[in-house]
Amino acid sequence: MNPCAVTTGFFVLGRCGRPSVTVCRCGRSVCARHVDPQGQCPECAAAQAYADPFHPGWARGYRRRYYEQSSGMYNDAVWYSRFDSYDRGQFDAGDGFDVGGYDGDGFDGDDGNDWVDS
Amino acid sequence: MFWRKTRAAIERFHPVHQGLIWQRTASVTLPPAEWDAVVASLARHAETVKRRKWRLPDRTVAVLVPLIRVLCEDVAPKGAIGITADLRGPKVPEKTGPSRKFPGRGRVRNITEWFAHDPWLAVRAELRDGSVLELTVTDRVRYRRIHKVNPRGKHKVKTKSKAVQRITARRTLQPGQEVRRPGSPPPRSVGVRIKSAKRTVISATAKLGPAPAEQDQLQWILAVATEPFRWTPPAATVRRTA
Repeated sequence: MNPCAVTTGFFVLGRCGRPSVTVCRCGRSVCARHVDPQGQCPECAAAQAYADPFHPGWARGYRRRYYEQSSGMYNDAVWYSRFDSYDRGQFDAGDGFDVGGYDGDGFDGDDGNDWVDS
Repeated sequence: MFWRKTRAAIERFHPVHQGLIWQRTASVTLPPAEWDAVVASLARHAETVKRRKWRLPDRTVAVLVPLIRVLCEDVAPKGAIGITADLRGPKVPEKTGPSRKFPGRGRVRNITEWFAHDPWLAVRAELRDGSVLELTVTDRVRYRRIHKVNPRGKHKVKTKSKAVQRITARRTLQPGQEVRRPGSPPPRSVGVRIKSAKRTVISATAKLGPAPAEQDQLQWILAVATEPFRWTPPAATVRRTA
């Protein structure tokens, strides 16, 4: 059985990885928790534009817009690509499915930039 | 008794929802599943309660509900989200500071000035990566009451207000969690401070003047909250090699 390929989280991105129960029309495996009544994954469901924050899927639909806006505000393309590559990675067969796992790659120290008070 | 059915319907709402109606405040720490129940209760408000006096504060739908939705995405099922929201506005006596009176000139008899300090939102969320996110939003409103007298002796009193807002986002990392300086600095309106300790603390502060409009409020809170997350590398996607 394929693990659920849905990207979870908002600021802290992760993968669901629970056993899937169906396959969305986009080809993504989806678990019982993330499938909507029409059998769609949250991203396909969010594409139907949930403008109402009372809807349980609102945050997943808003996430991409948030990353676009904040990336523009911070002039940080890496910030958006972090989400985009993560989201696209769902379609990679054989990808690892970590549930919000964290694997840092080091602190590069103070390089003299003066925009941080430390 | 008037509004009997509405009052009975309100009594069936979630206690946090009832607090927002009666006291216009909420201070509670709950797991994500329970916050979902609160939001589900709030969703029934508009169709159940028609009385203006009992409508939800505007910031409930514009800020509180979306923020709960966002935080629930990042908090583990056993984690907790604590929210203290005081949506009574800046005009309540507890938030009003002392006033000062200045002498006027010409037609202006006098000017009275006072400030209101309104810390209307404080949030603490234990995220699933082990870090803790704290958000605060504080409005500081300056009021000026100007007393004028025209040449015919008619008095006119006018009150003007000017609001600035301070948004802070503080993320306390897990011990040993890696920190990486982002490639670009934050916007000029956002200041960042790093405190290196056993648990590194990344703080971002923005002072906005004038305070953002209601529809832009959530966007600004999330924008300031972005900065502490840019300082940690993304979760690794471990690729299996066949």
